[in-house]
Amino acid sequence: MLRTTALAASLGLMGTLAQADTLTFYTAGPGGLADALADAFQAETGITVNVFQGTTGQVMARLEAEEANPQADVVVSASWGSAVDMHERGLLMEYLSPDAENVPDFLKHSHYVAQGISALAIAWNTQSGTPRPNEWTDLASEEYRDLVTMPDPAQSGSAFDLIAGLETAMGDEAWELLGALADNGMIVPGPNAAALNPVLQGAAAAVFGAVDYISYSRAAAGETVEVIVPESGTVIAPRPMFILESTSNADAAKAFVDFVLSDAGQALVADTWMMPARADVEGLRPGINDLNVIEVDEDAVAARRDEIIARFNETVTNR
Amino acid sequence: MLRAQSLLTTAAATALIILVGLPVLFILLQAVFPEFARGSLTGAFSKLVILTENDRLMMQARNTLLLAFSVMIGCLIFGLPIGILRGLFHVPGARVWDVVFLIPFLIPPFIAAIAWMMTLQPRGYLFQLLGFDMGRFLFSFTGVAFVMTLNLFPLVYFAVSRALEMVGGRFASAARVHGARPLQAFFLITLPLSIPAIAASLLIVFAMSIEEFGTPAALASRTGFEVLVTGIYTRLSDWPIDLSGAALGSVMLMAMVLAAFTLQNWIATRRSYISQTGKPADLEKADLGRWRWPVLGLFALVALIGVVIPLAAIAVTSFMGTISGGLSWSNFDLRHYEPLFRSGSRAWQALITSGWLAVLTAFATAAIGGLVAYIVVRGTGRGRAVMDGLSVLPNAIPAIVLAVGIILFWNSPYQPLSLYGTAAILLIAYIGILLPYPIRYAVARLRQISGSLDDAARVAGAGQMQALRHVTLPLMASSLIAAMMLVFAIASRELVASIMLAPAGMRTVGTFVFAQFEQGSVQTGMAMSMVAITITSGILLAVNLWLARQGSSAFSG
Repeated sequence: MLRTTALAASLGLMGTLAQADTLTFYTAGPGGLADALADAFQAETGITVNVFQGTTGQVMARLEAEEANPQADVVVSASWGSAVDMHERGLLMEYLSPDAENVPDFLKHSHYVAQGISALAIAWNTQSGTPRPNEWTDLASEEYRDLVTMPDPAQSGSAFDLIAGLETAMGDEAWELLGALADNGMIVPGPNAAALNPVLQGAAAAVFGAVDYISYSRAAAGETVEVIVPESGTVIAPRPMFILESTSNADAAKAFVDFVLSDAGQALVADTWMMPARADVEGLRPGINDLNVIEVDEDAVAARRDEIIARFNETVTNR
Repeated sequence: MLRAQSLLTTAAATALIILVGLPVLFILLQAVFPEFARGSLTGAFSKLVILTENDRLMMQARNTLLLAFSVMIGCLIFGLPIGILRGLFHVPGARVWDVVFLIPFLIPPFIAAIAWMMTLQPRGYLFQLLGFDMGRFLFSFTGVAFVMTLNLFPLVYFAVSRALEMVGGRFASAARVHGARPLQAFFLITLPLSIPAIAASLLIVFAMSIEEFGTPAALASRTGFEVLVTGIYTRLSDWPIDLSGAALGSVMLMAMVLAAFTLQNWIATRRSYISQTGKPADLEKADLGRWRWPVLGLFALVALIGVVIPLAAIAVTSFMGTISGGLSWSNFDLRHYEPLFRSGSRAWQALITSGWLAVLTAFATAAIGGLVAYIVVRGTGRGRAVMDGLSVLPNAIPAIVLAVGIILFWNSPYQPLSLYGTAAILLIAYIGILLPYPIRYAVARLRQISGSLDDAARVAGAGQMQALRHVTLPLMASSLIAAMMLVFAIASRELVASIMLAPAGMRTVGTFVFAQFEQGSVQTGMAMSMVAITITSGILLAVNLWLARQGSSAFSG
């Protein structure tokens, strides 16, 4: 009995220790950015940031599992629609950072603001022996049979946005294209890195809907991969950052959001090869104005999330 | 005197109920009441229609059983021949082979699966070396079963060789004395008498394949092959989450494992086929003669497939500058190891976190497990009967199911003590998952220690607690230490409970590696795996050597 009491007491102690002046930050990848932001923020303010980093699907699942007992203060997701959805359910705190002044209007809202922006692209292995693809539809041709991968839209928020964007631009032809890709042996191995890794080794030649910054940073690390943005258009995936209404640490949470949008924070975002949210901060790669961006009605898409995922599974995954 | 014992029994029972009992109870409640996690008992049984309406769960259950059955067959193919040869003949380098076939236990299954992927997929290492690939084989049902077989076949090898050593030595020579020819003795005496041990080891393989997360997680999405474990994980980790579906899947999983373990227990204890006196028998093994080289070739082949290839693929990947650079000396690079040894880096923190978690788990499981075993073997009356039943429970709970139960129990609105979201929750999960090892080791050891030693102390005037402290505990120490080391090795790389329960800001070796494959760099993940495998095998080797000097083996229990 004594032993269990002592155990319970020491466990309780560990529990309270974790509550001290800290901020809990849930974020979609890349892990390196979350850690860099946490470290820099701590150096500036002395507030410890506990990071949980996962795919958008994992982050949202954790938030839902913890609904009765919320843990997170600040969240970054890779899917704009998830912020729209959570705001509608009244889970977000209203806050527009003064540092968001230079963020373009379509990337901010009273309750959420972009941290950075990625675009969806084709990541192509230059040593794969296949011709350089220029368009989404190229990947459905015979030359790429069994050589295309795609991130799973259920797990990758940006892959979901790509499907929604192609549907907006092409209508039902988007689904015909996905069907043709599936007929051509396209595989859906998991979230973004899982789709890219076979392409790096050469097991596949190209990723349909690669998150551009991951591929840019791999290319910078010496991998033979090229990022190709189709001229017909692509979607951008702004990554919404928001504070949960349930936070018990609103001041620290606001300070963290301010920090991410500050010069120092945006420089860290740019270092990951993403496009910074602020228009006045230079990125390492082509910016929004260099891309042909497909406009997507985020509100309408967020409401149809289940339907789109189900149709994707029907068309590609479980055919 | 009785008071001391009932106090101990209460303590042990409380620990088991909190660690395992209540989480399981909450799973059952969630499976019945879909709104249970939100604090409501409405709509009882309404979600059970999932079982008939949505046949995905049933398909996953079918796949799970099919896979476990195939892995069992696979382990028979890989483990039985070499096990028989090792048990009956003088195989050159027998001790070395034993160590070699321990290695598959040390490679985390998830890592092994990725290693096979890097090797066999199109343009993988096999293609780069020999010009052909086996991608179609790997990304198929057979491929998943193959990779899982390679993780588990040593269980059959060790069980078969130990059983045959016992039976083959003694009973077979008796048969030979009575005029049986060697083959006759083998098929009429040795094999039938060894069947219970072989069957028991196969059932453990069966149970472990049902619970396995790493291999299906790495390969299943490529094959479109879902099992219950990956299904439960997806239901909880992908938005929108499905608590009831996860709970229902958990109940099915528990039922399967419980059935396998009950059958195993029944076979293993039904009748004493083997006269185990505890004395090492004078084993009369046959010489291989001219079969020496073919047999060595077979051992080498199994070791090549089961140990060398996966280990080499892990090592090679961790040393590659870029993946697209392929196998070439100019691509050799140590840079992915650098963060692992940089104090304060996230990788370093993950190593430290896993280290102290594993140490705490080892001590806690040894304390609780030792206590439970003591009561199961030495206790009297009702307390003992209750404990006997409770002590089986942790065995039957797969790690993922316990993780689900822990989320439901420790994060429920009824829970006054909120440990969810703290490091303590991982410790609680690890203890619950790994408790079976110390219990099993300590029970086996206590059964060997005669109760009369205890009685002698009591006659000489010692109280029960005194006898426990000065007589029984010192005698149990070596088996508990062996169990602690095994617990340390497994806990230091635990994967599935860690990814589901680790609070924000906390990374373990398992979650670090998993995240590298999901979002980071494959090479960093492999480098971390190399470090973890080296540390755990070093510790296990040291302990085994130490125990060998003490005259027992950590893996004979």
